[in-house]
Formats: sequence, structure tokens, C-alpha cells
Amino acid sequence: MIAPFSETGGLGSTGLLLSAPLIGLAFGWFLERGGLGCAPKLAGQFFFSDLTVFKVFFTAILTAMLGAFWLDRFGLLDLSLVNLPETSVLPQAIGGALFGVGFLVAGLCPGTSCVAAASGRLDGLAVMGGMLAGIVVFNSAFDWIEPLYRGTPLGAIRFSDWMGISTGAGVALITAIALCGFALVGRFERSRVSS
Amino acid sequence: MNRSPDRYADPYFAGIGLGLALLAAYVFAGRGLGASGGFASVVASGTAVVKGTAAAASSPATGPYLDHGIMSPLHDWLVLELIGVMVGGFLSAWLSGRLRIAIERGPRVSDRQRIAFALAGGVLMGIGAKFARGCTSGQGLTGGALLSAGSWIFIMTCFAAGYTMAPLARRLWR
Amino acid sequence: MSQTHRLLAIVAAVLGGAAFLSSFSRSADPSELASEIEAESDHMSALDLATRIMHEDKNLRIFDLRSQAEFEQFHIPTAQPMAIEAITKSVLPRDADIVLYSEGGTHAAQAWVLMRMRGYRRVFVLREGIYEWQSRVMEPRLAIDATAAEKAEFEKASELSRFFGGNPEMGVPRSQVPSGYWTTQQSETPQTHTAPFRRRGC
Repeated sequence: MIAPFSETGGLGSTGLLLSAPLIGLAFGWFLERGGLGCAPKLAGQFFFSDLTVFKVFFTAILTAMLGAFWLDRFGLLDLSLVNLPETSVLPQAIGGALFGVGFLVAGLCPGTSCVAAASGRLDGLAVMGGMLAGIVVFNSAFDWIEPLYRGTPLGAIRFSDWMGISTGAGVALITAIALCGFALVGRFERSRVSS
Repeated sequence: MNRSPDRYADPYFAGIGLGLALLAAYVFAGRGLGASGGFASVVASGTAVVKGTAAAASSPATGPYLDHGIMSPLHDWLVLELIGVMVGGFLSAWLSGRLRIAIERGPRVSDRQRIAFALAGGVLMGIGAKFARGCTSGQGLTGGALLSAGSWIFIMTCFAAGYTMAPLARRLWR
Repeated sequence: MSQTHRLLAIVAAVLGGAAFLSSFSRSADPSELASEIEAESDHMSALDLATRIMHEDKNLRIFDLRSQAEFEQFHIPTAQPMAIEAITKSVLPRDADIVLYSEGGTHAAQAWVLMRMRGYRRVFVLREGIYEWQSRVMEPRLAIDATAAEKAEFEKASELSRFFGGNPEMGVPRSQVPSGYWTTQQSETPQTHTAPFRRRGC
């Protein structure tokens, strides 16, 4: 049977709900293994003192992107049935900027704050509390924010469609950028050790 | 927990593990990973308790998270996934000797300041993630690997803002 | 360790490069297109389309290839107008289900080939164009001497029809219901039977 199993009938609604904690477990496990439950380590990304975030983040994107693309090409996964997040240019640009500043100040992002809290870090718990409060603030100001929130929608679209290139070319582009990034990071770290 | 903690895994191997977890989410659930969506779902359920199910379900801010007025956030895939994340993080920290009650902070801030900044940063991220329809997990990883245009806009503005403001936040971490 | 990293980087580079190359071989393979046409997997029935519109299927993009004036007069809900020459430079999600329709079936079928050649994989046409929507969704007909199977199909079709503000009618003489109208009785040449429906306005 072709994946995604939740859409093609291989996984009922109970199975779907059961898959959530199992997949989450793997997610949390690998975040913690990589050291992403530790705020100073994550914040080091912004000061070029610890580039773990860059490495973990882009390796994960590469793995999932190449895996999904080739499973789709070999007919094992129908990517058109996988939920593609919808694009809204302006709110996502603004949201990204706010989020980036919050990330810098908090030293953790929402997923990693859960890992930090689960490993006993009280600052992780505080970030989780802040997240909830931030969402409450957003929701209570929603009437006022809504026009901006709903502005510039493009629907579910890939950047490759936007650029007028094939999905395969988009995959190749991200792969090339990530691998160049890894090579540069490696060179940077070696130069710092030797100096 | 008196043993010294294990070394962290190689970041590239951890990244591959994370990528495979994300791929498993695509394959089994037809969706990606997320974190802020789970928080938003908890908030929506909380709103339903405080203001009543009808008010919360009809509000455009919380309604989409309350499927058919079901109030328990345990019906939400992302909330269950987040519980899994916490269990996974706990197990990994426990088995590697990193489980301890502590506050991680930069060398020049007090514990109290650290908690205040953690809260403030969390608030900013909560608002930002709502605007962007996701966070580093839901947009960054999930949408990024699917080549979503908006996800890459998010990734770029997120890191651009972080790096631009970093010199001002130096005292927090260095 | 560094050796392993290098190996992983090579694997990623090969898979990424091959992804780029694969987009060429996939886009224009006439024999593949021919076999799809043969298997009739290039069609979507008006009733299937109506069901998906009703369920607000986000993955669906419907394009009306008729003239702007005809589009303004009447079109399938959620469809967008598109000139056939615009097909060659449209930017659409690669994995969307693209449905094309025209007056009859010809223009849509030609556009189908163009879209498939450009690498869009999930492209469908309404076999009988806008008339199929008119006759199957807006005005489903049930013969007075209908079989049980026809009645069951009519039930489903009229539910859709009412959703789209159509006008299902039952008990019409058998002669007004073209043979092959319901899938239970297969017809060899369905196109010829749509003629009586063409005169109907919107």
C-alpha cells in the first residue's frame, strides 16, 4: 500500500493517534541526543560559538526532503497527500522575525523547550509558559491582527513552483546549499581550533 | 545521578535521526512534526474551559483548534506528539546522565533574569509562531523539507532577525 | 568520523543531483502519456469533481479554458479562467490535482498533453467539458422505469446537485435519458448523447 497510510486507509484514526506519541518520542530523543535541550548551546548558534543547531536542522531537512522526494518518485509515498503548509508571505515574514528575536532571547524554540523542561531545566518550563502566554495575547488581539494575519495568501505552494523550476531542481538547490554550508562550517571550526 | 553526563551525539547523526522521524510522520500520518500548534491547541482548550465551548469554537482565533467542539487537547495529533517529545527527551536525558533540575543560563545573568528572559522570549515566539502558522518544527523542518515557499521565508527571516539582534543580546549568553 | 561524514555528504549530493536530473526524464515521455490516455486515467468524472469541490479539497485546481465571456456567464464553482496559451507558462503547485475543462472535450484534452509535458503529474479533464457538469451535476435525470442501481446513483447525484443549486428531475421518459448516462449501463460513445443537453442555459 502506498503511503501516507493515514490518507490511503492503512492507518485508522486510532492508529493515527497512536503514531503521534511514537513519532514525538523519536523527535524528542534525537533533539536531546544532539544537545538541543540546552539553551546556551542553542543560543551559541547566534554568536557563531556553537553551530550544532545549523548542522542538526539542515541535516534533518536534507534527510526528510530527499527521503520524501525519492519515496514519491518510486511510487511508495504520494507526496500530494502530505499536508503542505500554506504560504502567506507577509505574516510569515513578520512571524519569522518576531520568532527569531524570541528564539535569541529564550535560547530555546517551542520543541526544544519541551525537551529542556523534560530533562529538568526550569528555563525550558519558563519558555513553555511564555509560549502559552504569547498565544493567549495573540488570540485576544486577533480581531485587530486578523487583516494582517490573513494578508498576502498564496496557498499551498513550493518555492520551486514560485521560481518556475521543477520540484527536483528545488530539492537539488537545497541539497547544494546545505552541503556547501556544512563544508563552510567545517572549515570555520577547523580555522578556529588552529588559531 | 552522580555519573558525569555522556557526550552529545554527533550533530549530523542526530540530524539524520530527526529527519527520519519527520519522514515517518509524512509516511504514517501524512503530515509533519510540530510544536507551536500543540501549544495553540492547549490554549484553545483552555479558552473553551474559561469562556465556554461555544464562544471558543466560534472565535476565528481558537475555533480551528477545536474540532467539532471537542474540548480535550488529547484529541489533537500535535498535543500527543508533544507528550511524546517530552517522554523522548526525558528518556534520552535520563539514559545519558543529563537529567537534573537546573537553570541553564549565560555566565553574566542571574537565575531570576534568565527565567524572565525565557518567559519574554517565549511570549515573542508564541506570537511569532501564530503569525507564521508554525515554528521551527512545523514551518522550519516540516515545511522546509517539503519546499514550502512560506516555510523558507520563515526560516530566512527567523535567522536574519536572530543574527541582526544578536549583538544586543550578547550579555544574555556570552 | 570525518570519513563517515564525507560518505554521507556524497550520498546526499548524489540523491540531490539525481533529483534534478529526474525532473527532465519525467516531464516528456510520450509513451507514458499514451498509456495513460489508453488507461483513461486522464479523466475525472463530473460527479467525482463535484464531490471534491463540496468537500473543499484544497489540493484541487480547476481551470476553465473557455472564453472570458463564457466563463463569466457560467462556470464550475472554484474554477479559474485560463487561456490555453497561458497553460504553457502557468506556475502551479506540482502536486496539485489540476482539472481542465473546455466547451467540449477537445481543448481540455490538448491542454492535458501540454501540462503533462511540462511535468505536472496529476492533470485531469472532464471528458465532455462543461456539458458534463451541466448534465450530470446540475440536471441529473432519472428515467421513469429506472433500475434500482440507477436510482441509487441518482440519489447520490441529486444530493450533489442540490448542493450546487442544481435541479434533479426524476420520472422523465426513458428517451430523455441518454444511454450510458448512469455508469451501470456502459455506452461505447457517450459524447454523441450529450447533444440534447447542449441547448440548456445556465
